[in-house]
Amino acid sequence: MRRFASFHIDMSRFASLHIDMGLIRKYLRAILNARRLLITTFLLCFALMIYLPFTMIALRSIGRGWFGRLWLPPELTLDWYKWAVEVTNIVDISKNTLVIAVLAVTMSTLIGIPTGWAFGRRRIPGKEVLMSMILLPRMIPPIAYALGVAQIFYRLHLVDTHFGVALAHVAICAPYAILVLSATFEGLDERILEAGSVCGASPVRNFFHVVLPLILPGILSSMIFTFTTSYNEFTLTLMTYGKDTVTLPVRTYLAIGEGYWEVTSAMSIILVVPSILVLFMIQRQVAPEKLVGGFKGV
Amino acid sequence: MSETSKTMIELREVTKRYGDLVANDHITLKIRAGELMTLLGPSGCGKTTALRCITGHNIPDEGQVWIDGHNVTEVPTHKRELGMVFQNFALFPHMTVFDNVGFPLMIRRVDKAERQERVMEALRLIRMAEYADHYPRQLSGGQQQRVGLARALVYRPKVLLLDEPLSNLDAKLREEMRFEIRDLIDRLGITAVYVTHDQAEALALSDRVAVMHRGHIEQVGTPDEIYDCPQSRFVADFIGLSDFIAGTVSEVFAEQGTALLRANGLEITVPATPEMSPGQRALLFIRPNNVVLLPSTHEEGTNVFDGLVDKMTYLGDRNDYRVAVGESLELRVQTDGKVRFGVGERVKVRLPTSLCRLILE
Repeated sequence: MRRFASFHIDMSRFASLHIDMGLIRKYLRAILNARRLLITTFLLCFALMIYLPFTMIALRSIGRGWFGRLWLPPELTLDWYKWAVEVTNIVDISKNTLVIAVLAVTMSTLIGIPTGWAFGRRRIPGKEVLMSMILLPRMIPPIAYALGVAQIFYRLHLVDTHFGVALAHVAICAPYAILVLSATFEGLDERILEAGSVCGASPVRNFFHVVLPLILPGILSSMIFTFTTSYNEFTLTLMTYGKDTVTLPVRTYLAIGEGYWEVTSAMSIILVVPSILVLFMIQRQVAPEKLVGGFKGV
Repeated sequence: MSETSKTMIELREVTKRYGDLVANDHITLKIRAGELMTLLGPSGCGKTTALRCITGHNIPDEGQVWIDGHNVTEVPTHKRELGMVFQNFALFPHMTVFDNVGFPLMIRRVDKAERQERVMEALRLIRMAEYADHYPRQLSGGQQQRVGLARALVYRPKVLLLDEPLSNLDAKLREEMRFEIRDLIDRLGITAVYVTHDQAEALALSDRVAVMHRGHIEQVGTPDEIYDCPQSRFVADFIGLSDFIAGTVSEVFAEQGTALLRANGLEITVPATPEMSPGQRALLFIRPNNVVLLPSTHEEGTNVFDGLVDKMTYLGDRNDYRVAVGESLELRVQTDGKVRFGVGERVKVRLPTSLCRLILE
C-alpha cells in the first residue's frame, strides 16, 4: 500500500485547455436539432442523476481535504481505502457477503428449478394468482415485512447466522429465479426433446446433450440476478444481521453513521466493484438476448 | 409394390384416449416395406396420435404396434431406430447444421472420421453442404426442413416419419419440397409414413393413402382409388370437390349394369353394384369437372336435365358454376375456360353415367 499512499496532480494542466471553436459550433448545431435536443437533454439528466452522486463519492474516496466545491480534490490519496480495509475489517465482511450471496443463490436456484419447471411446463389451475403471490415479496418494500422476519428469526435462532440472513434474502431472490427459470423452461420446445429421442438419445443423454445446453443460459442468468439481488440487499440484512454476519451494504451504512465520509466513500466504491464486474461479465461473456427466456421462438 | 412385399409397420387395433376423447379408435393399418403411406385427415382426426404411437411418444391404451417384425408397443422411442421430420423442424438450436445432422451418429457412438463423412454425404444429398457451419436460426424455413430431413436419414433408419413437414413453408416451396422428399425416399428405398391434412400433398406424394376421420381410418388405397372410388361421404367430401345427390334406388337393370336413382324429382341413371336393390337409400356423388354443361337447345338424353346458372366464378384455367337443377338441387360444375354461360342463362346439365359414383347407406 505504501507506494499508493499519496500523489499529486498538477492542476495548472487543466487551466490551459485548447478551445476549438469549430467543434463547439458543430456541437451547438447538433444540439439545436430539436429531436436531438430532447434526447441529449434526457441523456444528460439521466447521466447527472445516476453518475453525479457516484462521481462525487468516487472523488471523495480518493481526495484529501475536498469538500465538493473544486473541480478536483486538491490532493489525491488512497489512504481512505487503506482505512476502509484496516478499520472496518472489510475482508471478513466481504467473506460474509459472498457466503450469504452464494447460499441465497443456491437456495433460490434449488427452489426456482422445480417451481419454474412447474410454472413453465405444466398446466396449473390459478397459475396467474400463484405467480403474483410468489412475486409479491419482490413487489412490496422489504421493510414492510422485515420486522416479521426478524421476530420469527429470533425465535428460531436464525439471526446472525449466514444461513438465516441468506434465508431472508431468498424471499426476494427466489421470485427472480422462478420468473426467469419458468420463462426458460416454457421456451424449451417439447418437439426438440422428441427429436432427440427419435434420434436415439436415451432420456439421460437427451438431458445432457439437448436439455441442459438449452436451459443453461437461463439458469446462469437466474444465478447472476439472484446473486446481485442478495449482494445488494440491505433492508432484510439490517433486520437479521449480527456481529458475525455484517455485509458490505450494512457496513457501509454503519460507516455513514460513524461520520467518516471519506472512508464511507471508499467502501461504497469497493461495494460497487463486484456489481460492475458482473455487468461486464454479462455483456462480454454471455449474449444478453440468450439470458432471458432461453431459446424461445427458435 | 407387390402385395407380397413384407409389412414394415403394423398397427393392430390401436386405441388411444385422452380423457373422454378417443383419438385413435381400434386402428388397424399395415404399411409395407418401401412404400410411402400418408395418413390424411382434418385436424383432430387422430393422424398425429397414430404417428406418435409409431414413434413411441404415445403408448397406446389398447392394441399393439409392430415395426419390422417386432412388437415395439412398449419399446421407448430412442430404441426404435426411427427417423423423423417435424412440422416446426425441431432442429437443435444450440448446434450447427453439421452437429444437428451428426447427432444421431454421435448418439450411436460412430467414430469421428466416419461421422464426418456420413454427415457431409447427407448434407450433399440435400444440397446443404456449404451450410455445415451455420446455426438453424441463420437458415430459411425450407433450408431448416432439409436439414431436418438429413438428420432423419443420416443413419439410414428403417422407417422415416414425416409430421406435416411442409405446412410451415410457403406454397411455392411446399411444391418443390414435395418432389424433393419423394425423390429422396425413392432413392433410399425407405419406408415412410407421412402425416398431412393437405390432400393435394397426399395425392401427389403417396403410394397409398389412409384417410382418417374422428379416430377411425375411413379408407386405405392408392391416390387414384381414394380420389375415384371414395367409399364414404367423408372421403368424397374431403378429397377434391364433390356434388352430392341423396336419393332412393328405384330400379336395377342387372343386364345393362345400370340402376335408376330417384332424387329431387330427377331420375338419374347410375352404374349398378351387385349389392344394390330397389328401395335402398343411396348417395350419388360426381366431381364438378365431370358434370357437362350444354346449351339449352341441346337434345334430351340419358341424365340430361334442365338447369339455370345461379353463379359463375372465373378461375382462369376454368369456370366454376352453381347450377340449379331439379326441385332444390344446386350442383357445382367446373368447365374449362372456353365454355362460357352467363348468370341466369338456361342450360342443360348432363351427368355421365360412368362417372357417377354411388355410396349405399
